[in-house]
Amino acid sequence: MFYKVLDGVKIVEYGHLISAPFCAKILADLGAEVIKIEDPDFGDDARRQGPFLKNIPGAERSGLFQYLNMNKLGITLNTGMSTGKKIFGALLKNADIFIENNPPKRMKELELTYKFVKQINPRIVMTSITPFGQTGPYKDYKSCELVNTHFGGVGYISIREGDISKEPLKYPAHFFSFQGGLSAAAATLGAFYHQNVTGLGTQLDVSEQESIIQNLNSPISHYSYSKHIASRTDVKSHAPFHILPCKDGYIYAAFVEESEWRRFIDVMGHPDWADSELFKDYSTRALYWDALKPLMLEWTMEHTVEEIYRSSQEKGIPLGAVRTADQVLKDKQMAARGFFIEVEHRENGKLKYPGVPYKFSEIQQETPVAAPLLGQHNEDIYCKRLGYTKHDMDKLKEAGVI
Amino acid sequence: MGTSFLKGIRVIALTWVWAGPWMGAVLADMGAEVIKIETKQRLDSQRVLNITTDPNGGLNHGQFNITNRGVKSCTLNLKQPKGKELFKKLVKISDLVITNFAPRVMPDLGLDYNALKDVKPDIILVSLPAFGNTGPDKDYVSYGSTIEAVGGLSASFGYPGEAPALSSIYPADPIGGMYGVVGAVAALNYRNKTGKGQHVDVAQSEGITTLIPEVIMEYVMNGGIQPCMGNRDEIMAPHGCYPCKGEDKWVAIAISTDQEWKALCRVIGNPDWSEDERFSDQFSRWQNQDELNKLIAGWTKDLTHYDVMNKLQKAGVAAGGSLNIEEIINDRHFKERGVFITQNHPAAGKTIVYRSPWTSALTADNPPAPLLGEHNNYVFKELLGMTDVQITELMETKVIY
Repeated sequence: MFYKVLDGVKIVEYGHLISAPFCAKILADLGAEVIKIEDPDFGDDARRQGPFLKNIPGAERSGLFQYLNMNKLGITLNTGMSTGKKIFGALLKNADIFIENNPPKRMKELELTYKFVKQINPRIVMTSITPFGQTGPYKDYKSCELVNTHFGGVGYISIREGDISKEPLKYPAHFFSFQGGLSAAAATLGAFYHQNVTGLGTQLDVSEQESIIQNLNSPISHYSYSKHIASRTDVKSHAPFHILPCKDGYIYAAFVEESEWRRFIDVMGHPDWADSELFKDYSTRALYWDALKPLMLEWTMEHTVEEIYRSSQEKGIPLGAVRTADQVLKDKQMAARGFFIEVEHRENGKLKYPGVPYKFSEIQQETPVAAPLLGQHNEDIYCKRLGYTKHDMDKLKEAGVI
Repeated sequence: MGTSFLKGIRVIALTWVWAGPWMGAVLADMGAEVIKIETKQRLDSQRVLNITTDPNGGLNHGQFNITNRGVKSCTLNLKQPKGKELFKKLVKISDLVITNFAPRVMPDLGLDYNALKDVKPDIILVSLPAFGNTGPDKDYVSYGSTIEAVGGLSASFGYPGEAPALSSIYPADPIGGMYGVVGAVAALNYRNKTGKGQHVDVAQSEGITTLIPEVIMEYVMNGGIQPCMGNRDEIMAPHGCYPCKGEDKWVAIAISTDQEWKALCRVIGNPDWSEDERFSDQFSRWQNQDELNKLIAGWTKDLTHYDVMNKLQKAGVAAGGSLNIEEIINDRHFKERGVFITQNHPAAGKTIVYRSPWTSALTADNPPAPLLGEHNNYVFKELLGMTDVQITELMETKVIY
């Protein structure tokens, strides 16, 4: 874990890939005990997704899996078998929270819907995360990051000052699946708080699509009040508010206040063109951006990202460095905050990972533990907790239950 | 429809623009009472910028009414000593203080965590600075877009082989805000168990980085820098956005197994090219995706995006239209799930907001965003027990202002 905020909280996680594992990771990082249940033969699908250590695939070598599942206990269980279901029930009975992201139909087949789960443990908080939700005409539809991004409305307006003859874009990696898991974690904590106060459980129906819609404040309010339909051709009323190439990369010059632009002119050494009537305020600069941009590039292309970033920020100008992964890892601010952490894995050795984005002032920071090998904690859970003997365990394994 | 998880919790919000207010709205959505402290000295820019329905330029503009839904508003000038005193009185009867002001603002006002602890020892303060409350760049200034750039998101967002694209949504704020909610409620649970409060410091830039671990790990594990990939995937193909009937209509389709590929071909009517060796397995489809995408577009262009989605979903293939805002708000699935709610805002009129992305049987109401100082009477009279005379005097002396 990173911080022992949720000490004593017991969570069972059953799912694949990102949304449920990330939701559970956030809580594991805060000290909750998370028992992650994986299929005995194949484990979590994320084990088969890259990036892989040294580009060699392997069940314990996925950077995505390792990141998502650190600080958790891992067991294998065949939930389709009746013995497996019994064991699952025993695990749920002792849990405060149950997090899953399986299709609703599958949970019905497994007899693990909330209807069944609350009979086993009435006070449990069950967090169910799906792309479209547990109800509605599309509840059984298939999805993924690409489809979620587009159906959730971010794709259509993904870029601005663009060209609608070109397709709308998705965001890098699995950005919005992660946001779905984060939203689920917040809801889970809220319901858990309620459980502590009242002793009552509930099911949380979390939709990844709806989580994406949270990014659409501006288009929604524009549509709400003026029926304007936001589009990729929309132009911002301010300029500069753009990514500009420089000597060794890109910077994001995003200015709203007139004073920010004035100070940036100074950073650029007050070139003659800066006093032109064409560029006198943000709206004229937006109007004449095609004329302004090449003039700015004359200067930016002569300077590095770091130079421009630092000299701007020193003057209180809200300019950003467009950082690639290597630069993010070297960032001195993140280093000073200890944001990146080293995690030791028995096969992969020590590797750096992103940590948690918060600090808790009154709680000591702990050392995170690597993600479990497939079935790593079978003995701990089955023998020490559930009272099976080693012999039982061997039999269960032979029978394909674990 | 909100939920009642945090009924009885009181939050004081010193927030403006987006991340902070948005965090307040989510807490309000969870049933907490959130009191936003505003001042005429410096209005929240979302009250000033953007569109308005009030021809006199009234104090209720577009985006504010989504970002601050469900929240209460009182005016209080914290620069005045009497203002600080009243603020502390409010802290004494609250559980949480949340802020997204720059790191030096609260300390400059003499209201840092230690000062708040003096007033209420178990108070929980959650701050959402751009880069953190500590560190050499803590006082760096930013908008959402620059936070995403520094966090590593912007660099790989764009069309394949092209420069980073200009995004029009700024997720750093809702993500920072949601991490703020996680920190706040986790701290509330901790407080209930131990009696101890907390200062939770959430760095928005770090929040961005935690959502793109693949990009980071590609470098850590392999020294690789993720290029802009557009709608493409590392290994899945077809995986993209295809043109449909109508202007600017597109459908996203993602094939991850041979079974799904066969289903796609079947739905298209088993065209000759579906037997082509170039597309015989996942790897070869990925290698030849440019050609494959053109062929699929030849089919999608004569259908509406909903048509393609429904046909393919019926065959077990992941597909969905790239919906614009009007389509989303009117989509039958989101309608049935009650995602969008039309509120009657006292000044702005009919206002569309969304509920948080979860539902539970523990429901509660969603009131609209507040007018400036709308709850002054509630806060100063009911909560702090002041008289009408006292309140009027403080308004005249620009304390309740």
